[in-house]
Amino acid sequence: MKHVVSFSGVEKTYKRPGLLGAQYHTAVKDLTFEIPAGEVTGLLGLNGAGKTTIMKLITGLLFPNAGKVRVFGHNPADAAAKARVGFLPELPYFPPQVRPEEALAYYGRLSGLSGAPLAEAVRISMSRTGLEPHAGKRVSEFSKGMLQRLGLGQALLHGPDLLVLDEPVSGLDPLAIHDIRALLAGLNAEGRAIFLSSHSISEVEKLCSRVLIMVRGALARTVKRAEWEASPAGLEGIFVEAVK
Amino acid sequence: MTGTLRLLLAVALNSFLESVRSRFFTMFAVFAFTAVYASVLAGVMAVDQEARLLTDFGLLLTELTALAYLLFGASTALLKEAETKTIYLVFSRPVPRWAYLAGKICGSLLTAALMLAAMAVIHLSVLAFRGFGLPPGYAWVLAGTFLKLAVIVSFAYFVSLFSTSAVSTLVISSIMWTLGHFASEARFLAEKAEGFKGALLGFFLHLIPNLQLFNARDAAGAAGALPASVLLPAAGWTLASYLGGLWLLSRKEF
Repeated sequence: MKHVVSFSGVEKTYKRPGLLGAQYHTAVKDLTFEIPAGEVTGLLGLNGAGKTTIMKLITGLLFPNAGKVRVFGHNPADAAAKARVGFLPELPYFPPQVRPEEALAYYGRLSGLSGAPLAEAVRISMSRTGLEPHAGKRVSEFSKGMLQRLGLGQALLHGPDLLVLDEPVSGLDPLAIHDIRALLAGLNAEGRAIFLSSHSISEVEKLCSRVLIMVRGALARTVKRAEWEASPAGLEGIFVEAVK
Repeated sequence: MTGTLRLLLAVALNSFLESVRSRFFTMFAVFAFTAVYASVLAGVMAVDQEARLLTDFGLLLTELTALAYLLFGASTALLKEAETKTIYLVFSRPVPRWAYLAGKICGSLLTAALMLAAMAVIHLSVLAFRGFGLPPGYAWVLAGTFLKLAVIVSFAYFVSLFSTSAVSTLVISSIMWTLGHFASEARFLAEKAEGFKGALLGFFLHLIPNLQLFNARDAAGAAGALPASVLLPAAGWTLASYLGGLWLLSRKEF
């Protein structure tokens, strides 16, 4: 099986300078796992378990202190890796005065698009995320669900092979969650790998084929769909058992 | 146009548009208009020196207004992008950090050029209203102000990459701007100091940009033009701050 991401013995420690010397906090330690191509992989864990750190290591926003992270065989900080990854951080921000197409055009340019391909990418992104009817609105008029769609839109612009989504349905109403879930399922059906973190076990259960459970910075378990479907308590039972 | 240059321009244009859209920009535009108009009152009190006072006062206000706005922008730009996680959307893409920082500085300089042009139009209109023409060397003074702003704005970006808050960046940059206007005097005093103390003081003083070089009216009288040689120190100090900032940014995690 091909892997889009691989972690090998990865450790990330944050340093917080202080008056009486620096304080160190290890966010993830001795982390080894792979994300298979074309699959939806979920990341579950309590607050502070290291989920966001993992996402930032994949997107090259953080550098590991030890071990090796590879994205499509490259260092995550390399342009070759970044060109194939789309990232949606938790609660993305866009300037309130801009319209969605302007915001997408900016991020499209940063992804190296220009001219007709940029216009086409923006159009497709608006269409896929259902933002076309809201094209005339400013971001300040957007609901949380629409902002999340716009966040997904910017991640899709350059046609990435891997989507890294940090809490993609956090704080959304049931209809928005339904729409986002359908969109992600459609993207996965096209062969894109999706790696998402969530506090919602039911969402992860519906979307993912494999789930990584993080406990205090370490990978506690890797669970496949067949396992939680066979378990009487489902994924929730496995998760609770793992984090206790 | 190469791909990386296109990225730089995209960041610069976005940074410029963010500045222009900002409510602060409107506030400063109102302030600039009010302040320059207030100079009319001061000018009336100057009796036979009205033209000179109106010109000097207006140019000083133009420089201070642009300085305040741009320092505020440069001090908060990177901090705001980090706090709002906008920076995640930028650096998770194949955007080289050197192009991002250069784009940010270029965006601020575009804003500076627009602010100086807008305030010059207001100032010249006030002068014309009082019956005075274009002061000699006016464009050179604006050019000198622009060079000063380029030096201090890039310095502010550099400071913002290691300081803990926007306020400390503003304070440090403002101190540097003030020191830069007394650089010649400070160097003269350093030359008077002898031995190791003098050498050390002299070395540190050479790190302070001599902003007096860009005062066209001081340098060559009212009709003076800025010598082309001032471009070199302006470029040098701007580049030094940029490279220092880049060194910090390339090691920074988000």
